[in-house]
Amino acid sequence: MSDKVVTKNRSESAGSRAWAIGLGAWAVPGLGHLILGRWQRALLSGGAVWGMFLLGLRLGGHLFRVTDQGFAALLQLLPMSANLGSGLLYLFCFVTNIGFAEQAQRVTYEYGNTFLLVAGLLNYLCMLDAFDIAAGRKQ
Amino acid sequence: MRHVLWMMLFASLTAVVFGVVAKGSDRQRLVYGLKVFAEFLVVAFILGWILYFLPFR
Repeated sequence: MSDKVVTKNRSESAGSRAWAIGLGAWAVPGLGHLILGRWQRALLSGGAVWGMFLLGLRLGGHLFRVTDQGFAALLQLLPMSANLGSGLLYLFCFVTNIGFAEQAQRVTYEYGNTFLLVAGLLNYLCMLDAFDIAAGRKQ
Repeated sequence: MRHVLWMMLFASLTAVVFGVVAKGSDRQRLVYGLKVFAEFLVVAFILGWILYFLPFR
Protein backbone atom coordinates (compact mmCIF):
# COMPACT_ATOMS: atom_id res chain seq x y z
CA MET A 1 0.00 0.00 0.00
CA SER A 2 2.75 2.45 0.99
CA ASP A 3 4.66 1.55 -2.20
CA LYS A 4 1.64 2.68 -4.24
CA VAL A 5 1.51 5.98 -2.34
CA VAL A 6 5.24 6.56 -2.88
CA THR A 7 4.91 5.76 -6.61
CA LYS A 8 1.92 8.10 -6.93
CA ASN A 9 3.79 10.92 -5.15
CA ARG A 10 6.82 10.38 -7.42
CA SER A 11 4.75 10.51 -10.60
CA GLU A 12 2.94 13.64 -9.35
CA SER A 13 6.24 15.37 -8.62
CA ALA A 14 7.61 14.28 -12.03
CA GLY A 15 4.46 15.67 -13.65
CA SER A 16 4.73 19.03 -11.91
CA ARG A 17 8.44 19.16 -12.80
CA ALA A 18 7.56 18.53 -16.45
CA TRP A 19 5.00 21.37 -16.36
CA ALA A 20 7.56 23.71 -14.76
CA ILE A 21 10.14 22.80 -17.41
CA GLY A 22 7.52 23.32 -20.13
CA LEU A 23 6.75 26.77 -18.72
CA GLY A 24 10.45 27.62 -18.56
CA ALA A 25 10.94 26.41 -22.14
CA TRP A 26 8.14 28.69 -23.27
CA ALA A 27 9.36 31.69 -21.26
CA VAL A 28 12.98 31.59 -22.41
CA PRO A 29 13.70 29.72 -25.67
CA GLY A 30 16.25 26.96 -24.99
CA LEU A 31 15.86 27.03 -21.20
CA GLY A 32 13.79 23.84 -21.04
CA HIS A 33 16.45 21.69 -22.69
CA LEU A 34 19.13 23.48 -20.69
CA ILE A 35 17.46 22.48 -17.39
CA LEU A 36 17.22 18.91 -18.68
CA GLY A 37 20.96 18.90 -19.38
CA ARG A 38 20.52 18.65 -23.16
CA TRP A 39 23.13 21.27 -23.98
CA GLN A 40 23.30 20.65 -27.70
CA ARG A 41 19.53 20.73 -28.15
CA ALA A 42 19.28 23.86 -26.01
CA LEU A 43 21.97 25.61 -28.00
CA LEU A 44 20.53 24.64 -31.39
CA SER A 45 16.83 25.15 -30.73
CA GLY A 46 17.24 28.18 -28.45
CA GLY A 47 19.76 29.74 -30.81
CA ALA A 48 17.47 29.22 -33.79
CA VAL A 49 14.44 30.76 -32.04
CA TRP A 50 16.38 33.69 -30.55
CA GLY A 51 18.10 34.29 -33.89
CA MET A 52 14.86 34.15 -35.80
CA PHE A 53 13.11 36.54 -33.41
CA LEU A 54 15.93 39.11 -33.38
CA LEU A 55 16.38 38.87 -37.15
CA GLY A 56 12.63 39.37 -37.57
CA LEU A 57 12.81 42.61 -35.62
CA ARG A 58 15.96 43.67 -37.52
CA LEU A 59 14.24 43.05 -40.85
CA GLY A 60 11.43 45.42 -39.95
CA GLY A 61 8.76 42.88 -39.07
CA HIS A 62 6.13 43.77 -36.53
CA LEU A 63 4.56 41.91 -33.64
CA PHE A 64 0.80 41.54 -33.35
CA ARG A 65 -1.49 42.48 -30.47
CA VAL A 66 -5.20 42.89 -30.19
CA THR A 67 -5.97 46.57 -30.64
CA ASP A 68 -9.08 46.66 -32.82
CA GLN A 69 -12.66 45.99 -31.82
CA GLY A 70 -15.08 43.37 -33.11
CA PHE A 71 -14.22 41.07 -36.03
CA ALA A 72 -10.88 42.77 -36.76
CA ALA A 73 -9.72 41.79 -33.28
CA LEU A 74 -10.33 38.13 -34.14
CA LEU A 75 -8.07 38.48 -37.18
CA GLN A 76 -5.24 39.68 -34.95
CA LEU A 77 -5.75 36.97 -32.37
CA LEU A 78 -4.20 34.17 -34.44
CA PRO A 79 -0.91 35.89 -35.36
CA MET A 80 -0.72 37.26 -31.81
CA SER A 81 -0.91 33.75 -30.39
CA ALA A 82 1.94 32.75 -32.75
CA ASN A 83 4.01 35.73 -31.57
CA LEU A 84 3.21 34.90 -27.96
CA GLY A 85 5.08 31.61 -28.43
CA SER A 86 8.33 33.54 -28.10
CA GLY A 87 7.57 33.86 -24.39
CA LEU A 88 9.31 36.59 -22.45
CA LEU A 89 10.82 37.99 -25.66
CA TYR A 90 7.31 38.93 -26.76
CA LEU A 91 6.29 40.15 -23.31
CA PHE A 92 9.43 42.31 -23.08
CA CYS A 93 8.61 43.86 -26.46
CA PHE A 94 4.99 44.32 -25.35
CA VAL A 95 6.00 46.18 -22.18
CA THR A 96 8.64 48.32 -23.89
CA ASN A 97 6.53 48.79 -27.06
CA ILE A 98 9.34 47.54 -29.32
CA GLY A 99 8.49 45.96 -32.66
CA PHE A 100 4.78 46.80 -32.79
CA ALA A 101 5.08 49.61 -35.33
CA GLU A 102 4.39 48.58 -38.93
CA GLN A 103 7.20 49.35 -41.38
CA ALA A 104 5.53 48.26 -44.60
CA GLN A 105 7.78 50.55 -46.67
CA ARG A 106 10.76 48.30 -45.99
CA VAL A 107 11.53 45.62 -48.58
CA THR A 108 12.16 42.98 -45.93
CA TYR A 109 8.99 43.79 -43.96
CA GLU A 110 7.19 40.54 -44.89
CA TYR A 111 10.30 38.50 -44.21
CA GLY A 112 10.49 40.09 -40.78
CA ASN A 113 6.85 39.28 -40.05
CA THR A 114 7.35 35.67 -41.10
CA PHE A 115 10.51 35.32 -39.02
CA LEU A 116 8.72 36.69 -35.94
CA LEU A 117 5.65 34.49 -36.39
CA VAL A 118 7.63 31.32 -37.05
CA ALA A 119 10.01 32.00 -34.15
CA GLY A 120 7.03 31.78 -31.80
CA LEU A 121 5.63 28.67 -33.46
CA LEU A 122 9.01 26.91 -33.35
CA ASN A 123 9.34 27.74 -29.67
CA TYR A 124 5.99 26.01 -29.06
CA LEU A 125 7.50 22.91 -30.69
CA CYS A 126 10.62 23.17 -28.51
CA MET A 127 8.44 23.64 -25.44
CA LEU A 128 6.48 20.46 -26.22
CA ASP A 129 9.73 18.58 -26.86
CA ALA A 130 11.16 19.67 -23.49
CA PHE A 131 7.89 18.75 -21.78
CA ASP A 132 7.88 15.29 -23.38
CA ILE A 133 11.47 14.62 -22.34
CA ALA A 134 10.78 15.80 -18.77
CA ALA A 135 7.63 13.63 -18.58
CA GLY A 136 9.60 10.60 -19.79
CA ARG A 137 7.68 10.21 -23.03
CA LYS A 138 10.76 10.83 -25.13
CA GLN A 139 14.51 10.24 -24.88
CA MET B 1 19.57 37.62 -54.70
CA ARG B 2 19.12 38.88 -51.16
CA HIS B 3 15.61 37.41 -51.06
CA VAL B 4 17.03 33.96 -51.77
CA LEU B 5 19.53 34.37 -48.95
CA TRP B 6 16.80 35.37 -46.46
CA MET B 7 14.73 32.42 -47.61
CA MET B 8 17.71 30.08 -47.19
CA LEU B 9 18.38 31.47 -43.71
CA PHE B 10 14.74 30.96 -42.79
CA ALA B 11 14.84 27.39 -44.13
CA SER B 12 18.05 26.57 -42.26
CA LEU B 13 16.84 27.91 -38.89
CA THR B 14 13.51 26.12 -39.23
CA ALA B 15 15.24 22.90 -40.30
CA VAL B 16 17.51 23.08 -37.24
CA VAL B 17 14.52 23.15 -34.88
CA PHE B 18 12.72 20.41 -36.82
CA GLY B 19 15.86 18.28 -36.63
CA VAL B 20 16.25 18.93 -32.89
CA VAL B 21 12.70 17.92 -31.97
CA ALA B 22 12.61 14.88 -34.28
CA LYS B 23 12.82 11.34 -32.92
CA GLY B 24 15.63 8.87 -33.57
CA SER B 25 19.40 8.81 -33.31
CA ASP B 26 21.61 11.87 -33.84
CA ARG B 27 22.37 10.77 -37.38
CA GLN B 28 18.68 10.22 -38.22
CA ARG B 29 17.80 13.67 -36.88
CA LEU B 30 20.63 15.26 -38.84
CA VAL B 31 19.42 13.60 -42.04
CA TYR B 32 15.84 14.70 -41.27
CA GLY B 33 16.96 18.30 -40.72
CA LEU B 34 18.88 18.33 -44.01
CA LYS B 35 15.86 16.82 -45.75
CA VAL B 36 13.57 19.54 -44.36
CA PHE B 37 16.04 22.22 -45.48
CA ALA B 38 16.21 20.76 -49.00
CA GLU B 39 12.41 20.48 -49.19
CA PHE B 40 12.01 24.14 -48.21
CA LEU B 41 14.37 25.19 -51.00
CA VAL B 42 12.83 22.94 -53.66
CA VAL B 43 9.26 24.06 -52.85
CA ALA B 44 10.31 27.73 -52.78
CA PHE B 45 12.00 27.50 -56.19
CA ILE B 46 9.04 25.65 -57.73
CA LEU B 47 6.54 28.18 -56.34
CA GLY B 48 8.82 31.02 -57.44
CA TRP B 49 8.85 29.81 -61.05
CA ILE B 50 5.07 29.20 -61.03
CA LEU B 51 4.45 32.74 -59.76
CA TYR B 52 6.89 34.14 -62.34
CA PHE B 53 4.63 33.03 -65.20
CA LEU B 54 1.37 34.22 -63.61
CA PRO B 55 0.24 37.66 -64.84
CA PHE B 56 -0.10 39.53 -61.52
CA ARG B 57 -0.02 43.14 -62.68
